[in-house]
Amino acid sequence: MVLDFNTLYAFPGRFDRLLEDFFKPQLADGRRMAYPPLNLSEDETAYYVRSEVPGMPLDALDLTLTDKSLVIKGERPVEQGKYFRQERPAGFFQRVVALNAPVDRDGVRATLVDGVLTVILPKCEECKPRKISVDVG
Amino acid sequence: MTEQTAAKTESKPLPRVSPATDILEREDGFYVYMDIPGVRREDLKIDINENELLVTGRAMQGPAEKETFLEVQFGPGEYVRAVSISDLVDRENIKAVLKDGVLSIHLPRLEKASPRRIPIQTA
Repeated sequence: MVLDFNTLYAFPGRFDRLLEDFFKPQLADGRRMAYPPLNLSEDETAYYVRSEVPGMPLDALDLTLTDKSLVIKGERPVEQGKYFRQERPAGFFQRVVALNAPVDRDGVRATLVDGVLTVILPKCEECKPRKISVDVG
Repeated sequence: MTEQTAAKTESKPLPRVSPATDILEREDGFYVYMDIPGVRREDLKIDINENELLVTGRAMQGPAEKETFLEVQFGPGEYVRAVSISDLVDRENIKAVLKDGVLSIHLPRLEKASPRRIPIQTA
């Protein structure tokens, strides 16, 4: 039998890990509850939406770009067999990213590397800050 | 200079994460699935001690320069997880596959331990 007893034994060496887990800052807020976790960032040219979606091929993910939002949808399959331990989430998931800034809709690209999804939403040309030259008449 | 900064980030301890793990049994043995998104094949180590299978992997999804983050819900980390394995497992034929951020390990049963019917001879 394969059983993960390590977490049950009060192993002296595991005590530090217990403390470590206890003081983990990200568990303090409820943000970890939403699945999948998202990172949002921007630079001068684009917005980046990154998400951890392990076990999903790109064609199994449903990315929808609407007027004001980007929707990431998918379903994680359940493995068949007799479970001893199940921690990985399974089933449908969906996350909606509200886009309050205009993006270049035709230039949106998505890549998936090692279970990390990256959606690049380029900022549209017209919305970039521009210098206006003032002519002295 | 770049090497120095690289060494500095290397020495800074990454937050340790215990990856979500499924352990299940099928007819041909045991299967362990771990969610380790962001870990490349070369950053993943699987060690077998006597009765323990130890998986360590580093996810180096460091933020690119110039990007400002509006929301951060995951980041670089070190996945560490140990799984006890029993004597029934055929240690020589353990197979591990990393695909789309999921590590699947197949632990086949030892031949002699798989169930079989005992033939009865008439005396």
